Amino acid sequence: MENSMKDLVIIGSGPAGLSAAVYAQRAMLDQVVIEKGFSGGQIVTTEQVDNYLGLYGENGYDLAMRFKDHADQLGVPFLEAEVTQITDSGDHKEVHLEGGEVLTAKAVILATGANHKPLGVPGETEFSGAGVSYCATCDGAFFRNRTVAVVGGGDVALEDALYLSKLCEKVYLIHRRDELRGAKLLQQRVFDAENIEFLGSSEITQITGQGMVEQITVADKKSGTARELAVSGVFIAVGMEPQNALVQGLVALDDAGYIIAGEDCRTSVPGIYAVGDIRTKQLRQVVTAVADGAVAVSSLEQDLLEQDRKTVI
Amino acid sequence: MAKRVSGADFQAEVLDEKLPVLAEFYSDSCIPCKQLSPILGGIEDDYEDQLKVVKINVNFDADLAQKYEVAASPTILIFKDGAEVQRVRGLIKRPELETIVKEVLG
Repeated sequence: MENSMKDLVIIGSGPAGLSAAVYAQRAMLDQVVIEKGFSGGQIVTTEQVDNYLGLYGENGYDLAMRFKDHADQLGVPFLEAEVTQITDSGDHKEVHLEGGEVLTAKAVILATGANHKPLGVPGETEFSGAGVSYCATCDGAFFRNRTVAVVGGGDVALEDALYLSKLCEKVYLIHRRDELRGAKLLQQRVFDAENIEFLGSSEITQITGQGMVEQITVADKKSGTARELAVSGVFIAVGMEPQNALVQGLVALDDAGYIIAGEDCRTSVPGIYAVGDIRTKQLRQVVTAVADGAVAVSSLEQDLLEQDRKTVI
Repeated sequence: MAKRVSGADFQAEVLDEKLPVLAEFYSDSCIPCKQLSPILGGIEDDYEDQLKVVKINVNFDADLAQKYEVAASPTILIFKDGAEVQRVRGLIKRPELETIVKEVLG
């Protein structure tokens, strides 16, 4: 990778980052997209996308691959690397990579997205991959005819519980509140399922076992009592958390850790933009993520023009 | 392309195999497994004469998964002389997997 000053470094290659890359490439900006893992973002794990206009019923993985292919066809340069630090030097930014390489650019677009939130109880890390899972469609088959627990009350938790109810003998759906917050239609299906038992106002306090998950401790918040339940698997679906480790102390974040940025995607630091799920916004979906990518590049072009104008004056 | 093995031929295809065997436990609806697929394909091609690559579909061979205490897709087990010598849970990048493979091959 050549170390001359670039116009733009995009960090992350989910729908928002890829959309920004496509718009930047068409704007003939000198850019690179850095991805530490695999392109596509969270959408790859969605079985079916029913709300992206014009592509009804598309598989999430296939949709993500189409996004990546679009960027590839335009010649967007990608770099597989882990960013360790971003520093702001006013008119340029430094992006430090694992291994010591430093990229300099006039602007950075942050598209690092969000990831599943851990439950944060003893045993969760220890039994991750040994009965604790964050992907029911990936790991459900291991628990055929067994008893499992799903934790959470949103759409994902309800969908997971329903999916697992078809495979497993019994599914406990454990939620810290009295009422579920997922779509009413899903709630109805959950309550209709004979082998799903809803435990409201309840929290898992511990996951235990010998090598594999065997038991959970569930505290009933109303009665103040706790009981042990024998389960083979625990599926955690308690929401997402922003991947903001790179920018803590650099750009302004809200209380939940999302980067504060308006519809123009400008953050508190000139030349740094935030797109997709990492940004404060009302609705985190593919359609708003790809819109962010386009808008951020438009903001960036305006800012670069303004910067050039000031330099000339 | 990696051969799919089942509980019926696991002994012959994996445990009795002279070459080290990389066995991927996967499930039909697992996206990380799809992402791993081209990586395993590359390893299979590049180590053709040194390593055998096979796949086990846990939707059909849950007993095999249970026997080896596999509870996450994808999980890679590497066998040498019929014994498990390495285990990787979840998606792994090509360079990291290659390092493990090279260690096993010595």
